[in-house]
Amino acid sequence: MKCLQIIKDILSKGSKPLSKRSSCKGTSVALGVRSRIIILLSLCITLCALLIGASNNSPVKFADGNLPDYIEFKIPAGWPKPPTNIFAKNKLSEQGFQLGKKLFYDPRLSKDGSISCANCHQQFAAFATYEHDFSHGHNDQHTSRNAPALFNLAWMTKYHWDGGINHIEVQPLSPITSPTEMAETLENVLIKLKSDTAYPKLFKAAFGTEEINSQRMLKALAQFTGSIVSSNSKYDKVLRGEASFTYAEENGYKFFKANCAGCHIEPLFTDNSFRNNGLEINTFLKDYGRMNITGNPKDSLKFKVPSLRNVALSFPYMHDGRYYSLGAAIEHYRKGIVTTQSTLDPLLANTFNITNAQKYELIYFLNTLTDTSITRNPRFAK
Amino acid sequence: MNKIFLLLTLYFLALLNTQSHSQKITTSNTGTVKITFINTVKGQPLALNTGSYTNPFGEAYTVSKFKYYISHVSMAGAKGDVNEVENYYLVDESKPETLHFSLTINAGNYNRLNFLLGVDSLHNVSGAQSGALDPLNDMFWTWNNGYIMAKLEGRSPQSKLVNNKLEFHIGGFMGENNVLKNITLHFPPGKFLNIQPGKTSEIMIEADIDTWWQQPNDIKIAEHAVCSSPGQLAKKIADNYSKMFSIKDVVN
Ligand code: HEC
Ligand code: HEC
Repeated sequence: MKCLQIIKDILSKGSKPLSKRSSCKGTSVALGVRSRIIILLSLCITLCALLIGASNNSPVKFADGNLPDYIEFKIPAGWPKPPTNIFAKNKLSEQGFQLGKKLFYDPRLSKDGSISCANCHQQFAAFATYEHDFSHGHNDQHTSRNAPALFNLAWMTKYHWDGGINHIEVQPLSPITSPTEMAETLENVLIKLKSDTAYPKLFKAAFGTEEINSQRMLKALAQFTGSIVSSNSKYDKVLRGEASFTYAEENGYKFFKANCAGCHIEPLFTDNSFRNNGLEINTFLKDYGRMNITGNPKDSLKFKVPSLRNVALSFPYMHDGRYYSLGAAIEHYRKGIVTTQSTLDPLLANTFNITNAQKYELIYFLNTLTDTSITRNPRFAK
Repeated sequence: MNKIFLLLTLYFLALLNTQSHSQKITTSNTGTVKITFINTVKGQPLALNTGSYTNPFGEAYTVSKFKYYISHVSMAGAKGDVNEVENYYLVDESKPETLHFSLTINAGNYNRLNFLLGVDSLHNVSGAQSGALDPLNDMFWTWNNGYIMAKLEGRSPQSKLVNNKLEFHIGGFMGENNVLKNITLHFPPGKFLNIQPGKTSEIMIEADIDTWWQQPNDIKIAEHAVCSSPGQLAKKIADNYSKMFSIKDVVN
């Protein structure tokens, strides 16, 4: 906008010498009339070129010249870079984030207007479903999997337990249209949003015009969910030298690094790969996980390695929520691993020797992964 | 002063340079080609819901939905000059306005047309799309992401599904399950697409549903009334339907 100021300066008859102003090309000489005209011309051409350029490649067109407040997605110090930049074609902005948040908490996304994303993804439970193995959806029907906690989604390239979702932006299509979740059609959701008084303005603030379409809605939701980053637990503070582990936590951490970190890799506490950790197949659900998507028998019974951040809050555990406590989940690794499954992960081929003391130390350590900076953060709250 | 002029000159040159990169095809040497799809069964125009058809195995069926994606359309001539347009089109029998589209291409003589039947793999993993690729078009799998490249729905007394449904949703873009088909259609001998500046030529393409059942793979409704995910069956059906197109006419 400094350039505009300079144009004004050049145009105004009794203009002050340019030298006192910061100029966009760094020229700091008092200028004659002729060169002023030339500069003016070149500025005009630049502006036109910029405008043409903007309309070609920029994802957002703001007719009224207002731009949203773009925000930078911050990668916590020492963390790996996300494998893909989920915001590359969905520039993160405050307005986009706020719109996404409103959509996330809006039950009108469901058929009967009673279920929002937040019904199954509760903030105080790190956006998992608190205390339920299967989340309740439309008409009180149950989902066939346990709702995962939502954070650090920007580091994933595949979503859902079986990785069936290949981009964060298209993920919401699944719960919105699933008969056991929100049971709504995309058409109807858009109709409801369009007839609302607040949404058109919010879409305009985020995307430049009042147009409401599926792409914008999905991108806004991705701005909200993709922004939830958990990197501020006691564990993180210990690593940053801001806190220290108790004796038991320290022992638990050592045990964890020796036995669990092959899959639940720090600092994300997952490598986001698909593996079989030896759970006995649920004979009622007959869920073969990753194989349902790839059709490859080698993927049978493989599920996405869940992050263990906030794990104290996201019970019950595993893809079908079969374990109600961390103790029970650890018992699985102690004596529950089904070693006869051909796709069992080699890292788990030998059962662990876990003493009772180690089990409790492990639980103490896992409790240090709880991050109240997301569960109590008003920024992510309704 | 000199410095300023030097700067400005460089500046203009830089601008000119960026402009020429984004230059569009100028109108003076381009014409239009209108491509029309005529969906048929054994050469007879498809009648949704009302038409009653029989496949090569004597199985009767009706068609309620017939849609497919066309993308990366290009024309090629004897000299090998290719004009590619990346656009995506969803041909949907129930929406007459989708049965034709027009492209601007360089003037010249062309003897064949190429396109991709389906949506390229990149656009299957690129997040929320718009236009023909909008998930609103009901051609996107929400639980196992990816586009349905072609869809045929209807009914058949031979179907063992509820309400005798017939439901072929053909998709898959990864590795072994890839059903994407590069189609090349040569114009009939002696016929050329002759694009002249400022003028419109037309290509009429027939898509015959009768090809879905046979050659190289026998698809009997009694055995397969539904296909709803990528895999072997989808690949077999796609191998069959990759031969559904033929050039009906070229009009200059
Ligand atoms: C009825 C409960 C329910 C509702 C409502 C719901 N979800 Fe979910 N969500 C789940 C379940 C269950 C899963 C796991 C699905 C699977 O793995 O098959 C899940 C998975 C996810 C994931 C993937 C997380 C991961 O780690 O892979 C995201 C992201 C997500 N939901 C976001 C949303 C959004 C956004 C909405 C609203 C548009 C929403 N959910 C509505 C239950 C729900
Ligand atoms: C071979 C890789 C691997 C190793 C090693 C491993 N896990 Fe897991 N873990 C997984 C997978 C995969 C799942 C999800 C399984 C499912 O739901 O089907 C999982 C799930 C869990 C869960 C449930 C989390 C939730 O939110 O549902 C906990 C808790 C857990 N693991 C703890 C541990 C502990 C403690 C260790 C070390 C003793 C460990 N894991 C070692 C792969 C591994």
